[in-house]
Amino acid sequence: MSASSILRVDRLSKSFRGLKAISDVSFAIDPGSITSIIGPNGAGKSTLFNLITGYLAPNSGEVHFSGRSITGLATNRIAGLGIARAFQIARPFRDLSVFENVRIGALFGKSGPRDVTATTARALELAGIAHLADRSAGALTVGQLRHLEVARAIATRADLLLADEPCAGLNPTETAAMIDVLRRIRASGVTVVLVEHDMPSVMEVSDRLLVLDAGSLIADGPPHDVASDAHVIAAYLGTPDSSASPSLSR
Amino acid sequence: MRRASLPAVVVVLACVIVLAAGPLVLPPFYVRVGQLMLYSAGLALAWTILGGFAGYASFGHAAFIGVGAFAAGLVELQLSGLPPALQLAIGLVAGALACAVLSAAVAYPILRLRGTFFAIAMLGVSHVCAELNNNIDFFQGSLGLNFPPVAPVSVEPETFFYELYLAAGLVVLTIAWWIQRSRFGAGLLSIREDEDTARMLGVPTERYKRMAFVVSAVLTGLLGVIYAHSLGYITTDSVYRDDTNLDLIVYSMLGGMGTLFGPVVGAFVLVFVIQVVLARLLDFHLFATGLLLVIIVLAAPGGILGLVRDFWARRRRDAAMPAE
Repeated sequence: MSASSILRVDRLSKSFRGLKAISDVSFAIDPGSITSIIGPNGAGKSTLFNLITGYLAPNSGEVHFSGRSITGLATNRIAGLGIARAFQIARPFRDLSVFENVRIGALFGKSGPRDVTATTARALELAGIAHLADRSAGALTVGQLRHLEVARAIATRADLLLADEPCAGLNPTETAAMIDVLRRIRASGVTVVLVEHDMPSVMEVSDRLLVLDAGSLIADGPPHDVASDAHVIAAYLGTPDSSASPSLSR
Repeated sequence: MRRASLPAVVVVLACVIVLAAGPLVLPPFYVRVGQLMLYSAGLALAWTILGGFAGYASFGHAAFIGVGAFAAGLVELQLSGLPPALQLAIGLVAGALACAVLSAAVAYPILRLRGTFFAIAMLGVSHVCAELNNNIDFFQGSLGLNFPPVAPVSVEPETFFYELYLAAGLVVLTIAWWIQRSRFGAGLLSIREDEDTARMLGVPTERYKRMAFVVSAVLTGLLGVIYAHSLGYITTDSVYRDDTNLDLIVYSMLGGMGTLFGPVVGAFVLVFVIQVVLARLLDFHLFATGLLLVIIVLAAPGGILGLVRDFWARRRRDAAMPAE
């Protein structure tokens, strides 16, 4: 399994001034899957993404992508190998149009030959914002910005998309639309790893859940198994009360 | 980003033809004003490759005017037997090389700074260069440096330098234009908008910033070499000027920050206003520039081109209204 995995995180650790943000975390992601990383605030989810994408260097451990070590590589080199990230708080290029935003993803991103215009159009289509192409990015709603964030990320022709809370702050209709987009992205051959708080959408879309608590991996498995795991419930609610289980699995 | 290129080319070429014919009809005073306008526009364009496109506003580009000018002058001192045109050509190469070396050397540490910190650090670079130039005897900064007369005898020097500035400005414009339309330009734009996101999308931000910095510095240095020749004699104070450092930012803000033609418009307008409209109040130059800067920032953050764009957008909207 580990030979065919697209992303392998090996005993990764990161401390900030002695505080362990990520401690000895290992997992492997199968290509073509949707995996969600959940956990309480401060559990280290965003730190984990920062380590994978090279924003932060780990204190120890390794990250392998498509069979090669990417530990310590510069962020833009990692993007050049085919990892894209959609930020939790959308960070559009506000002065540019939606099309131009996505086009920059297509111009750069994974190295190799490409048709920039076709890639841009395809990413806009896949994220469901083709009709907004000429709109200024600064004029979009929060929900539309999330779609732009995802469109720009997949325009890089990445093989792995790391999406940081793509559904946070969205209403149920917008959340359903985003889940639809994530499914289409997976169907197009991209492996997806989510950090997400919204449990119903996590349960619905994920093949697998990883649960982080205080920097450690405390559970790993299919969504329904994990959601009823006593450790997970304890981490979320602070008490091993089994009546909490239905609210997690809705 | 890629619209209206053919009409723009036609308009630019028409402007160039009209400008090139300027010295034939203008009195000498206006030819000199024209020189200054073209020189300033060239500098503004060179500045904007880094400051406008990549968003790294330098407050010390006079460093490259000075280093380019003194490098050329010191090399040309050794070439007194050669034909003037060849001396100028070699001087240009020397000035460009010196600026390339200097900018490449300071790029690595200084481009880690962002925003105001970068601007102020560049001011420091400018002052350090000026001080070294002034105090190390080899550079002859305080003594002054003579430049050979390079204008052919059959042409008025005013006309010669006017046309030379025009040609140089056109070269800078073409390079800036090409950069703006290229993948490199898109990368610079993304750096200006959000550098961390740009890196996330695979833009080699550090390399692109350094490239933009060196290109901007070299083009500025080339213009500095021409400027030194047009003066004929320079000291440290005549090329490392803080009003130049300030003006380069004002040109872009006045015309339209981040645009291609904004810096040109801004330079033309500001130089014309200062040299012609305020000619009798020349002591007020810095006062007027400062006041203008405050007014632009408050009233028209998009500059002149921003005002024009807003005007057309409003007209289009008004025209569309009755149809709805």
